[in-house]
Amino acid sequence: MPVRVWSVAGVAAFRGAGFAPALCIATAGVALLAALGGCVGGASVTVNTTVPSPLVDPIPVKMAVYFDDTLTSYVHVEEVPDHGEYRIDLGASQVPVFERVFDAMFQDVTRLGGKAPENDNAAPFLDALRSSGANVDAVLAPTIEEMQFAIPAQTKGDFYEVWIKYRMKLFATDGTLIADWDLLGYGKANSDNYGSVGTEDDALGDATIWALRDAAAFLSFYFPTVDGVREWLEGRGLGA
Amino acid sequence: MNGTRLSPATLLAGAFLLATALSGCVQPTIDQVRFARTGPLGDQSVVILSRKHKTQGETENDFISCVSDHVAAGDDSLSVLAERQFVDSVFPWFEPRTAPLTMDKLGEVIAEPLVGDRIRDIGVRYLVWIEGTTERTDQAGTVQCTVFTGGMPACFGFLSWEDASNYEASIWDVSEGIAVGKVTSEAVGTSFIPAVVVPIPFIARVQPEACTNLSDQIKSFLGDGSEA
Repeated sequence: MPVRVWSVAGVAAFRGAGFAPALCIATAGVALLAALGGCVGGASVTVNTTVPSPLVDPIPVKMAVYFDDTLTSYVHVEEVPDHGEYRIDLGASQVPVFERVFDAMFQDVTRLGGKAPENDNAAPFLDALRSSGANVDAVLAPTIEEMQFAIPAQTKGDFYEVWIKYRMKLFATDGTLIADWDLLGYGKANSDNYGSVGTEDDALGDATIWALRDAAAFLSFYFPTVDGVREWLEGRGLGA
Repeated sequence: MNGTRLSPATLLAGAFLLATALSGCVQPTIDQVRFARTGPLGDQSVVILSRKHKTQGETENDFISCVSDHVAAGDDSLSVLAERQFVDSVFPWFEPRTAPLTMDKLGEVIAEPLVGDRIRDIGVRYLVWIEGTTERTDQAGTVQCTVFTGGMPACFGFLSWEDASNYEASIWDVSEGIAVGKVTSEAVGTSFIPAVVVPIPFIARVQPEACTNLSDQIKSFLGDGSEA
């Protein structure tokens, strides 16, 4: 007398070499899902990475970089309907990534830190710059304006995708805004490259790392061509 | 009769052994086009890269690893630099959104002194850009399994599916700044699992076959460069 019956209509689990192990794994997976009552999904990713040193000619300026506390503690949390909560902690990567990029982009770099400005137009770094005593030509202040992601279930595709939108501001040392622009980083990770265990965390983490690399690449390539920056550099005799 | 009843573990082990012993049929097709002669590699190396600028149809990481490993193995092996090591060495020039898509763009990139010098320093002579994927093109059937009282499993039915691989490798000579040729590898295979109590899988190893063929063709192409 049969006591349990299951059927396999698809063959996605059998792309490997062995049917028996795949059947065991599939059965165990179904049992686990049933036991959990569908309460699975979501991801929690802490991205702690840097990027390679960009291969670009350094611009002969002394630049201070202001990392405010909202940047260095940035966490994106989003509830995806039917898929749970997704949490991506980006803060720990911001200083290592930007320092690596700016060290290659500029002849001399000074790091400043402090609180975020209370309004968008403020120059938040003035106190920090004054107390550091650094002699610099300008101050760059990156902030994350927005982050988005998509999982394959949302796009009906194969990719986990991440977009990071930075707001970059270049200030004169007296607090005057020289230029501000958006810097977009995009990364994706093919779900086919990941196994069935830990897929969400690993794939989303890798997509985020690619987004950081993309932002770093575009910043190091195109900084001298940004409106406002280009004129500022030309004013210093550093035009292209 | 003692000894005629098989335990579930024995049945599963038997099915697993059959799975490893049997395989479905794979029909491979390989082709190559040579645009220019290839010189001896000497102490220089090859980089196997995947195109990552598309939003769909990105080549699988394990396929790139497979080709890299095969090209670097055997009596006719070539020196291969890992993809990640190369893109990190020339960051940010070969990122998904910045990598040159045409030979003209590659010429502009390697004309940058910093990039050209770095590529010479790490000893890369050829870039092999791989595009393509393995896709499931058809599937049909069902297998139903039951566990009888006493723990005796049994499966009945028939499953089949078809996979198709289609990969193209464009080979660029970095030192000369020219495209030297293209190699393609296609493979189609049907896998099936008939099950009468014990399922017996016949798995067509389509992607590994495409990998082996493409790798051998790349080695042959770069190792035998006399045909122009």
